[in-house]
Amino acid sequence: MTENKNKASLKSVLSISNPKVFDAVKMMISILIALAITFVVLCLVSSNPVNAMITILTGPLSKTRYIGAVIESFIPYAFAGLAAGVLFSAGAFNLGAEGIFILSGAVVTAIAITPVTTSPVLHPILCFLGAMIFGGVLMILPSFLKAKFGTNEMVVSLMLNSIYAGIAAYVVRTFLGTLKRGGNSSKDYLATAKIPYLYQPLRITACFFLLIAVTIILYLVMKKSRLGYQIRLAGSNPRFAEYSGISAFKLAISTAAIAGVLSGMGAATCLLTQTTFYTPSQSLVGIGFSGMLLSMLGRNNPIGIVIAAFMIKYLEQGTAVLYFVDTSVPSEIVAIVEGIIIMLISSQHFLRKFRERRLLKEGLEEHAE
Amino acid sequence: MLSSVISTLFTMRFIQAIIRMSTPILFAALGAFVAASTGIGNIAIESIMTFAALTGVLGSYLFNNAVVGVLFGLVIGILTALLITFFSMKLGADAFLIMIALNTFADSVAIFVLYQITGDKGTTASLTTPILYTWDIPIIKDIPILGEILSGQYVLTYLCWLIIIVLFIVIYKTPLGMRMRACGLNADAARTAGINVERLQVLSLILSGVFAALGGVYLSLNYLKIFSKGMVSGQGWMGVAANGIANGNYWSLVLSAVIFAVFRAVSIIFSSNSAFPTDLVGAIPYFSVFVILTVVSIVNYYRVKRGKVEEN
Repeated sequence: MTENKNKASLKSVLSISNPKVFDAVKMMISILIALAITFVVLCLVSSNPVNAMITILTGPLSKTRYIGAVIESFIPYAFAGLAAGVLFSAGAFNLGAEGIFILSGAVVTAIAITPVTTSPVLHPILCFLGAMIFGGVLMILPSFLKAKFGTNEMVVSLMLNSIYAGIAAYVVRTFLGTLKRGGNSSKDYLATAKIPYLYQPLRITACFFLLIAVTIILYLVMKKSRLGYQIRLAGSNPRFAEYSGISAFKLAISTAAIAGVLSGMGAATCLLTQTTFYTPSQSLVGIGFSGMLLSMLGRNNPIGIVIAAFMIKYLEQGTAVLYFVDTSVPSEIVAIVEGIIIMLISSQHFLRKFRERRLLKEGLEEHAE
Repeated sequence: MLSSVISTLFTMRFIQAIIRMSTPILFAALGAFVAASTGIGNIAIESIMTFAALTGVLGSYLFNNAVVGVLFGLVIGILTALLITFFSMKLGADAFLIMIALNTFADSVAIFVLYQITGDKGTTASLTTPILYTWDIPIIKDIPILGEILSGQYVLTYLCWLIIIVLFIVIYKTPLGMRMRACGLNADAARTAGINVERLQVLSLILSGVFAALGGVYLSLNYLKIFSKGMVSGQGWMGVAANGIANGNYWSLVLSAVIFAVFRAVSIIFSSNSAFPTDLVGAIPYFSVFVILTVVSIVNYYRVKRGKVEEN
């Protein structure tokens, strides 16, 4: 009797009627469809599509330094994804992370080229704090305007992105620049500001552990804390949130501040590990926008977002490896994979018929028993 | 220095430049407006313009005919609109997320295609493409000042003005337009009155895709004459912003789009003068959108608030 019951419960845990299982299945199928479409695209552009596909999928594993490159480069993207995830969870379409990354990059640079301290521990920490405070404050602007006056936060944040990029370029050129490198880049960072490798072959730095810690904290905040519950409630049902006494204004400001702090952190991790100087038109461009896609891929779940960031950077590294042997496939193909997966997993009705049929069948079986 | 810049602001050429530059923003604004009239926020204008700009050049190159290029652009505009409707209406995805995703990877997809065809990731400069012509209006071109301004513009600019007038008549003076606006004002009420809301929304989204695509092909086949990476540079978003400012008022939509074009033109004049920091001058158009949008929303906020106070 008990055995039977256990069997039944195991069955129900693994069955498609369990929404978590359904989501996982849906994700798998979306990824498979995206890879299939990618293969079709490869057939069109590459002379050896099978090899190209295998290289994209396994290339990064062929050398330690390839995996190292993935580990190093995915960290700022993961931070951008976390920032977007917090905003999207709250239903806020503030797309300002891109501009915050670029402008707080200038803040990191200003601190990193100034001999504020001789301690190699304190100097990076000061860079981080500067970028985080700056990012947190600036990110509030579009969300404040939206919450207070109803201004279209999406357009405002996009315009601010371009404005911030202009300001960052001007500040770096005028105050932090050097005539080397065409006048568009900053002076070299002081050695004390750089974050050293803890394990050189895999390019693991303290930033890696920072990301893990931040992800876990954010996960706990979003899933277990009062604030996280309020954020998710405001995102899924703003009217209900308002009627249950949650201040939409306070919530908008606090989520924007969290997202801004995360963006500043991401900018600092990128600059202090991957470069020795800052070029506003290159170094951090596109990370903030990619973060929004990663957040959609990870379905606003912090852990999912970090996994998505790793996956996407892994695929990009795969195309980079492929590029050595086959120049017909540029790394932009990853964007196609990404786009297809996002569109499929955000489709609520995708596979719904399949699920309903299974549920019906299960129900009938149960009834028969 | 400043006086030399200011003096260029009041010349014939500046007015011509504004007419040229306002065309893509007007197309984008019309696209945002027609979608919003049935209650759909089309924020994918920017990506549709990018896709259409690229396919326009490619079509023109493949068939050695600029008109075919325009048709290519229109087809891709309609297909993108249908893609959005397929995912949002058929598959139940959040349309906003789909459109944000489209905007974010539009540039990558465009670069991918560009690279496959030209082997270059930046521009289509290596392709020799026929472009659309300017048009000298027979009698008007001989009128002294007016002729200089009105005549000799690109053909798509004239089409844009024509669409502005036709769309006004359709939206405000025909039963179809009334129905569309009814969907935007209250979809449930419209449905009760027997209007097929979904069909009108799809129609308006397709029209929106067509207008945005015209803005895109204007950029690559008229204004800049090539496709280059990032060439849309926020003009689609300016159209969305103009629609936000207008808030359903047609002529303030047109006016806002033209004002944004003025700021773009001013920014270009300033950046050609080395005395001004180019990085900051380049941000002038975006700053103008930010300021105007914010001020308008603050004014509206206090107007509504005061209205409530008076009621009490």
